[in-house]
Amino acid sequence: MDIGALGLYVCLFVALYFEVFLMISFLEKRPEKKTKILPRHYPTVSMLVPCFNEGKTLAGTLDSLLALEYPKDKLDIVVIDDGSRDNTATIAQEYVAKHPERISFFQKPNGGKYTALNLGIEKSHGEILGCLDADSFVVADALIEAVKKFETDASIMAITPAMKVYRPRTILELIQQVEYTFGIFYKKMFDNLSAINVLPGPFSIYKRAVFEKIGNFRHAHNTEDMEIAFRMHANGLRIVNAHTAEVYTTVPKTIRALLRQRTRWSQGFLQNARDYAYMFFNRRYGNFGLLILPFCLVSMCAGIYTALYAAYRVCSFATARALEFFAAGVPPHFPVAHLDWFYVNTTMMTFVVGSVLSLTLVAILLGSRLSEARLTFKSFVVYFAFFGLLAPLWLMRATWGALLAQESRWR
Amino acid sequence: MNYQKYALAFVITAAIFGTAFYIANRLDARRISDIRTTQEAVATDILSLETQFDLLGSIDCATLPDTPILSEELASLASRLSVAEQNLGSNNVEVLALKKQYTLLELKDYVLMRQITQKCPKFKPVYVLYFYSNQGDCPQCTAMGDVLTYLRQEYPALRVYSFDYHLDLSALRTLLTLRKIDAEKGLPAFAVNNRAAVYGVKDLEETTKLIPELKTLATSTPSSQ
Repeated sequence: MDIGALGLYVCLFVALYFEVFLMISFLEKRPEKKTKILPRHYPTVSMLVPCFNEGKTLAGTLDSLLALEYPKDKLDIVVIDDGSRDNTATIAQEYVAKHPERISFFQKPNGGKYTALNLGIEKSHGEILGCLDADSFVVADALIEAVKKFETDASIMAITPAMKVYRPRTILELIQQVEYTFGIFYKKMFDNLSAINVLPGPFSIYKRAVFEKIGNFRHAHNTEDMEIAFRMHANGLRIVNAHTAEVYTTVPKTIRALLRQRTRWSQGFLQNARDYAYMFFNRRYGNFGLLILPFCLVSMCAGIYTALYAAYRVCSFATARALEFFAAGVPPHFPVAHLDWFYVNTTMMTFVVGSVLSLTLVAILLGSRLSEARLTFKSFVVYFAFFGLLAPLWLMRATWGALLAQESRWR
Repeated sequence: MNYQKYALAFVITAAIFGTAFYIANRLDARRISDIRTTQEAVATDILSLETQFDLLGSIDCATLPDTPILSEELASLASRLSVAEQNLGSNNVEVLALKKQYTLLELKDYVLMRQITQKCPKFKPVYVLYFYSNQGDCPQCTAMGDVLTYLRQEYPALRVYSFDYHLDLSALRTLLTLRKIDAEKGLPAFAVNNRAAVYGVKDLEETTKLIPELKTLATSTPSSQ
């Protein structure tokens, strides 16, 4: 066996180990089903909506917040315009005019999302603070589901939702729809392990005490939502997932935009991981330090390695075939097809890759069942066909950016 | 912290890897067994022909079909052996043993064909003795193999006997001596019928010119006639 294939087996072992670990977690603690029970107590909630050039989607975001099933006197919405150059401010002001008692609006020069969120924290008064990106839309009962989760245990300090893709239509959106569904299962299992690694922009809910104890959002390499999760783990503050609190988010519609977004996320992970390196393999931080952080890092390396190895093999094969073609002068023709099991690829690699893909499929189906997401056959086909080709691109870009200490870009 | 879960996940993952290894090995063993069975069948057929030849002193040329010997079976055996070689490696003991048996069958088929040719003037086979190496000293052997494979697909009656030059088999050494094949002159090498060997890779056009007898053979597709 060549060294390259051996490396691939190591990557597959790590991937399979992680999937098996999550499956054991799933069997240990099955996610609870949604109930119609209402919260015993309705704390005051301030929903912070940071915006930067979100004129196209802000109205939908605010409409979804206004439609939340929550006592009106307990919920206020704080819109913070981070120096938009489009009609974001106009739209926000129209909503303030229509709902002056429920929506407040602040403008500031552009300084980054974290500065907008911090201004929102400063200007709001709710016991609970929710963040909602201005390109996302909450389901009407999402806040009640989150508040119910807080009531299950006083030690819970923040909650992540189940994120779904808003109206997926194109191939790229369908790929992301499957990926997000996969993410719903992952987040729930990370919750089982008390190791949620990010509090996403669309609808993460915090107790105000979080910011009083560990401070506000930071620049954090343009991934303030990841850094706050790291910092909460560092300070022993508990994050859980409420898979019944659903939010729909718009996703990048072009490969270029997707690459930029994912490069920012991946690079943010690498740079934050460096800042919090002391948590790696540190038993004090539980499964987060022992499993999730190391696995996320290893999976990035494994993704890059697998892509480079596959590219090397494909290029070597193509070059050899091209040289043979020119040396042999044989016209292109289909090789003889053998309809016999003898010629089926039954190497160990085939079975191991099959196991990894099967567990991935099971995880997606479980995520789909958890979130009642309807995935089509086409979604699965495009996901399995293309995701593996796209992901290494942003992983490599992110690694390159992190090595050069470059600043990742938002858009 | 539940360290038992870490250990359990490791054991299950290792078990999946172990199962994959076991299944792959079992299937490879079945392949070897499959090749051996086919080789035994081919050996029996060759022995039957040889015995027929010995019993009668000469065979009845009138009853011979156009391609009397086991060209198809040997070609199928070769492609199966090639798969086994890819999966298990060319240095695998089982593969080497099968390769030697296959080479012997090729040689017996070759000898028998020559005997029949001498006895039956109507039987005019076109054959190529092809000598290759897969020990890294013949980078162009694959291209030459492609040319001969293509010609064999185009002309099913063309008999191609391929031999691994470095295979440690005394019968093969004898053939190399008889046909004066010398790897020093540069593999790949091939000899058409009784003619002297040609060294180095030849493309399809050159090879076709070197085998003018191809014109006498039927093609597999009407369009290529």
